[in-house]
Amino acid sequence: MAAAPSSDTDSGRAESKEASSKWLDAHYDPLANIHTFSSCLALADLHGDGEYKLVVGDLGPSGQQSRLKVLQGPKVLTESPLPALPAAAATFLMDQHEPRTPALALASGPCVYVYKNLRPYFKFSLPHLPLNPLEQDLWNQAKEDRIDPLTLKEMLEGIREKAEVPLSVQSLRFLQLELSEMEAFVNQHKAKTLKRQTVITTMTTLKKNLADEDAVSCLVLGTENKELLVLDPEAFTVLAKMSLPSVPVFLEVSGQFDVEFRLAAACRNGNICILRRDSKGPKYCIELSAQPVGLVRVHKVLVVGSTQDSLHGFTHKGKKLWTVQMPAAILTMNLMEQRARGLQAVMAGLANGEVRIYRDKTLLDVIRTPDAVTSLCFGRYGREDNTLIATTRGGGLMIKILKRTAVFADGGGEVGPPPAQATKLNVPRKTRLYVDQTLREREAGIAMHQTFQTDLYLLRLRAARAYVQALESSLSPVSATAREPLKLHAVVQGLGPTFKLTLHLQNTSTARPILGLLVCFLYEEALYALPRAFFKVPLLVPGLSYPLETFVESLSDKGISDVIKVLVLREGQSAPLLSAHINMPVSEGLAAA
Amino acid sequence: MAEERTVMRTQLPTSAESQNPQLKKALEFPILEKQNWLIHLHYIHKDYEACKAVIKEQLRETQGLCEYALYVQALIFRLEGNIQDSLELFQTCAVLSPQCADNLKQVARSLFLLGKHKAATEVYNEAAKLNQKDWEICHNLGVCYIYLKQFNKARDQLHHALHLNRHDLTYIMLGKIHLLEGNLDKAIEIYKKAVEFSPENTELLTTLGLLYLQLGIYQKAFEYLGNALTYDPTNYKAILAAGSMMQTHGDFDVALTKYRIVACAVPESPPLWNNIGMCFFGKKKYVAAISCLKRANYLAPFDWKILYNLGLVHLTMQQYASAFHFLSAAINFQPKMAELYMLLAVALTNLEDTENAKRAYAEAVHLDKCNPLVNLNYAVLLYNQGQKREALAQYQEMEKKVNLLKDSSSLEFDSEMVEVAQKLGAALHVGEALVWTKPAKDSRSQHRTTSASKAACFQQPLGSNQALGQAMSSAAAYRKLPSGEERPQMKNLSYT
Repeated sequence: MAAAPSSDTDSGRAESKEASSKWLDAHYDPLANIHTFSSCLALADLHGDGEYKLVVGDLGPSGQQSRLKVLQGPKVLTESPLPALPAAAATFLMDQHEPRTPALALASGPCVYVYKNLRPYFKFSLPHLPLNPLEQDLWNQAKEDRIDPLTLKEMLEGIREKAEVPLSVQSLRFLQLELSEMEAFVNQHKAKTLKRQTVITTMTTLKKNLADEDAVSCLVLGTENKELLVLDPEAFTVLAKMSLPSVPVFLEVSGQFDVEFRLAAACRNGNICILRRDSKGPKYCIELSAQPVGLVRVHKVLVVGSTQDSLHGFTHKGKKLWTVQMPAAILTMNLMEQRARGLQAVMAGLANGEVRIYRDKTLLDVIRTPDAVTSLCFGRYGREDNTLIATTRGGGLMIKILKRTAVFADGGGEVGPPPAQATKLNVPRKTRLYVDQTLREREAGIAMHQTFQTDLYLLRLRAARAYVQALESSLSPVSATAREPLKLHAVVQGLGPTFKLTLHLQNTSTARPILGLLVCFLYEEALYALPRAFFKVPLLVPGLSYPLETFVESLSDKGISDVIKVLVLREGQSAPLLSAHINMPVSEGLAAA
Repeated sequence: MAEERTVMRTQLPTSAESQNPQLKKALEFPILEKQNWLIHLHYIHKDYEACKAVIKEQLRETQGLCEYALYVQALIFRLEGNIQDSLELFQTCAVLSPQCADNLKQVARSLFLLGKHKAATEVYNEAAKLNQKDWEICHNLGVCYIYLKQFNKARDQLHHALHLNRHDLTYIMLGKIHLLEGNLDKAIEIYKKAVEFSPENTELLTTLGLLYLQLGIYQKAFEYLGNALTYDPTNYKAILAAGSMMQTHGDFDVALTKYRIVACAVPESPPLWNNIGMCFFGKKKYVAAISCLKRANYLAPFDWKILYNLGLVHLTMQQYASAFHFLSAAINFQPKMAELYMLLAVALTNLEDTENAKRAYAEAVHLDKCNPLVNLNYAVLLYNQGQKREALAQYQEMEKKVNLLKDSSSLEFDSEMVEVAQKLGAALHVGEALVWTKPAKDSRSQHRTTSASKAACFQQPLGSNQALGQAMSSAAAYRKLPSGEERPQMKNLSYT
């Protein structure tokens, strides 16, 4: 152990900035290429030589090349490929034989691979699930060609709709097929025996009949078909089977199988079920309103991390004790046990690159890591009792040793008022000018007010006058009369000297068409020439916008522009209904020429 | 851990692979649920990219038959905002396993998020047939009914959900129904039960505190808000409410310290800057008060309370022309408040626009029900204008209101108001101190108020105008604090 820090001094020094830290940075390799979860980490004295090794069920960088890695110190001791992704790893004592070397169990797919002395020892496969008798019957008939594929399909569909027992994969595949492919499929697969298999989702160990440190343990498996199985450590037979309302994700066990035990299972539906010996189903059920991301038992308290970034403490009967809010999402959790000081605490790896250690709801310590930690494990490693092993999201491996002098006291984390309270309020400053103006207002407030009021009235008066004038002379592009509700807007296109002037005339009445309108252009004849300065407007259907196009020729070469007035008139009346002033652009064509 | 001795790398003699019947597997179908556990782990770790990769592989391998993969894919879609896509995937899941209530629940949830509450209730009812003991279904049904304004049904469903399993969220929703129906007492009862069930939920504690604040039970309000702050010292709603209560008691410095936390968390909150501004006003730092209030006004230009406070501060600063503008803007947003008209009248009086001042007073008196200040100020103006008879009428009106107030509550009158009233009474020759049986020398006579008005005394020449100034400033003291504290309350109400 003593030599360990020298093995990776660079990263070690870089991180141990805080002299007050309780941890020694033993090793950090950001490129260790270990991608795993806490459930696939285990520490054990695999060879019985007192040198504890780390077992990693590695999922591989993209979940492809899963491997079983055994690490000693900072180095990989052995590495072997796995047939499928490992869901969980555990070490346990199988028997009473000397030397007492623990066996290693790896759960993967429907099997548990048991290794002794790092050699394959036994493979346990989950028992097949019972088949639907009707389904079995149907395929038997198909085998003897007594049923045609179409009827088979209909019958199977009927089973899928109603039956309690789900169909096998073969039937489900069959139901997906097109009519033409069915025949071939049946011929190819009818001879095979149907089976339904399930998968192990989680695994843990449970002491068989003694509470000792080195007592024989059973494996407890959680399966995809919502069951928990307890396996006999020697014969690998199923000792007990319990059913859950949902698929278990995390397990936490205490007690002994032969005496009394409590099993807590965090499930995919967001519930935590607590089971006891002699109970076939859950005894208590804790409903979180979010998904659990970790489950750890500290003494008698169940600590659950949820996707709402909080840790909750529950009693074994499901009563909520406390809640602590985390600053970021929890990625993983595990138990930290410092036996020499009798300390049990919860470690939580957060998405912001912190590992927080809590005893109940008091924060004991915060470890900052360069990358988000995805798996955590604490225990004896090599010959050092209190070692923290963490792997990061990028595949790094971090090993820290708890200093022997380290004592976790309450309030190791944040206490007192929040830091925000110390920051000064950002009160906007006022200038000297403002103060001067204030003084001026005090002196001459009355005059200011009166001037303002007078000007305001004048402004209002002028606005009103202009409005009345516009209404009277129909200067606005929207007509105000009730008989001819019209809207006009004009667009000028082109660079000159010829422009295209488009008038959009719209009848805004709801039902009545308008007939007999005239359009007249008023313009300076020296500057512009229009083909028609006066024309009739067709019947205007309500709602539609009529584009009326005309060309405008700019005659001046001096680069000046003028206003063209558009008047819309009713036949026989001299006062316009509405009018628009079009500011013509300067003819750029001429200016360029 | 690592002794630097070289260890021979002993490969496992038999690799695990040989144990697995690889050859036989060629024709076999993979187990559909093979990687469900991995999908789930990635999903709860919020590592959605990795999750999607596994889902894709799993779906390819099982030809789209893996229900859980589809389910999680749909959940991720929904988190990413593709509610329509997720809805379709959930419906596919529901086809794959029609007996499962979970899929229906999620379909309903997606419908709910799309705002189709009616359709959501139908699907939830369907799901409820499959699973009768699920609080989530009942709870969500209740929430849907709230949106459909069917409060009775909603209440039944929520009570049923509580019966199945108690959750804070259900309590909050139930309380909300009572608030929507305007039943504060019932709401408080619900929240009390909720706090009993989960004593550390700061949201519940804050809401309860605010409800008590609304009812004027300050002791309890402070207790609950304090509790909320113990558990979460950065809860800004609770800080704002507690701060406004501190302001009422004149603890401006403490309130300001607390507001610093809020200023870090929500620097653009109009009520926050309003309250900070009124704190400075209380500390007689008028320039700071004005700049804070102006920031609040900038952030919420249509909030009449901020405009009211701005008007008030400018009146104190004797910037009557500015005060006039802020007050008339406030009146445009809130035309039904007597105090606003009264302040406007005070501003107009100082701007020597007596005619309009009288009209404003008339409007104020017309609107007001119980504030004797309105009548007193009006009476002072009338008296100064020499209209003694009208002034007397207003004075008597004021006496009526005072008597009413004395009967109904233990509210203590501002000492300056009493003083001015006595002076006016003497001037009008209506026996002195008839109504003010005990000259209201209350223990917490708001020293800040008196000092504020003293300042007014010094600046104003003695004479009848002084009385007006005093009355005005006491009005300021009377109103400014409630308006300071009403803000967070209003804001919170819109949340709950």
